[in-house]
Parts: sequence; structure tokens; C-alpha cells
Amino acid sequence: MELEEAPKQHYTDKEKGEIFNNEFLPHINSMYNFGYRLTLDRDDAKDLVQDTYLKAYRFIESFQKGTNAKAWLFRILKNSFINDYRKKSKEPNKVDYQEVETYYNSEEVDRQITPDLRVESLKDMIGDEISNALNSLDVDFKTVIILCDLEGFKYEEMAKILDIPIGTVRSRLHRARNLLKEKLSEYAKSMGYNKA
Amino acid sequence: MNNLNPFVKPNQTKPSCMEMLQTILDGEASEEQKQYFKGHMDNCMPCFKSYDLDMALKQLLQSKCCGGEAPQDLIEKIKIQISQKSAQ
Repeated sequence: MELEEAPKQHYTDKEKGEIFNNEFLPHINSMYNFGYRLTLDRDDAKDLVQDTYLKAYRFIESFQKGTNAKAWLFRILKNSFINDYRKKSKEPNKVDYQEVETYYNSEEVDRQITPDLRVESLKDMIGDEISNALNSLDVDFKTVIILCDLEGFKYEEMAKILDIPIGTVRSRLHRARNLLKEKLSEYAKSMGYNKA
Repeated sequence: MNNLNPFVKPNQTKPSCMEMLQTILDGEASEEQKQYFKGHMDNCMPCFKSYDLDMALKQLLQSKCCGGEAPQDLIEKIKIQISQKSAQ
């Protein structure tokens, strides 16, 4: 459960309460946002966040006080989502990473640069378009964008949260952003941009 | 030339424009890499254009998709459950 291989800690009940209130609870808004974007359902997001906090408390002695609580909580939530929630849902939502890596390493990527999307059209988009485009991405692509662009995690932290090498974080992020741009480009076209 | 590019790591091939751009945008670049990329952008139109677009997208994601608060009833429920657990 721990993010780093840290020795098991020993806390008094008072210390546990302090860690929970001062280090875990302040991240609840980000956690709820993450849970909602993964499940796309407010009740499921509540269940997922609640489950995450209960697990965090149960395994609190695997957490070293004063270290990266936010990354630790995100990792628990992500694992709970994969192991519990995703199993229950019938949605397969799997990505062929071999295809992704092959794509990323090909020259195609540089030639493609970006879909037909301009800064001006982006600036006119209202929140719903961006939010819907993000929500519509496959969960593994959506996750890297949330962790990096919304929550500001570093590549190294993302690698630990997701249990993947940093190189894979980079390539997945690159692919995710291109997919997002493709979606936004479709919105932009429907808004009348890119016709000139 | 490669040894002048601070993005090149030992035993690795020269990174593509996209790889350099991503490192810059995500705040993973060193000061040396930032300086190099500034100079590179002056001579690379695709990088120049992509930088603006990718930066705008990142900012838009932050402003439109962040925020929002967890429901108060969720926070209360968690607090109650934890206090029950710690009392056990």
C-alpha cells in the first residue's frame, strides 16, 4: 500500500488522528474530483473516496508522517478503482499499450505534431467542452492528464502512483494529450473554427 | 552538436521536439534545458506553435476542470467512521 518502501511506523491514536486530519483530509477536494472523473458518477465517486480514506486510516502505519500524503492517497484511490470499482463495472476500458508505445516511438508522432487546433479556438471553449473531452478519454489516458495537468504531480510521483516506468508516463501523457486535442479539434470545427 | 543539447542523456538518441516540449511544459526541465529550448524555439516553427497551444490547453484544463468541492455529507461521513474506528 505504501508509496515508498518505508518501514512500518508506530503511531498513538492521537497521532493517527492528527495525521488523518492534518495530512489526509486537506486533499479531499482533489480526491473527490479524481474519483468523479474516473467513475463519472457522483455517488460512485463518494463511495470510492470514502473507501480510500478508510483504507488510508487502516494502513496509516505504512505511511510515514510528513511525506507525500497526496500521492499516497491518489495511489490508494487509483488501486481501489481498478480492483474494486472497475471489476464491478462491465466496461472493459483496456488499452493496448504495446500499440501506444510503438506509436510514440515512431516518426509518425513528430510528423503529426498536432491535430488541427488553434489557440484562439481553445480560448473560446467553455468549461463543459474541455471537461467533456477529458471525461470521454479512456481511463488510463484521462488519469495521466488529471495527475499531471490538474493536480501538478511530477513524472516521478506519477510513476509511483501508477506503478509504471517514467518513460511510460511520458509516452502515455503525450498520447493522451494528442487524443484530447483531437476531441477538442472536433468541437472547434463544430464551432466554426478552422474553416479558413 | 548532440553533446551541446542538454536534453540528450548518455547512451540515448537525440530527443524529438515533442519530447523536449513536453519536458518544458510539465516543469521537468533544468535551467540549462530551458535556456536551450528557448533558443531552439527561435528556429523551430512547429515547436513555437505547439508551445503556445499546449500551454493554453494546460492552463485551460487547470482553470476549467479543477476546483469543485467534495460534498459536505461525504466529509462528515468519513469523519464519523474514522472516529468510530479509533474508538474501537
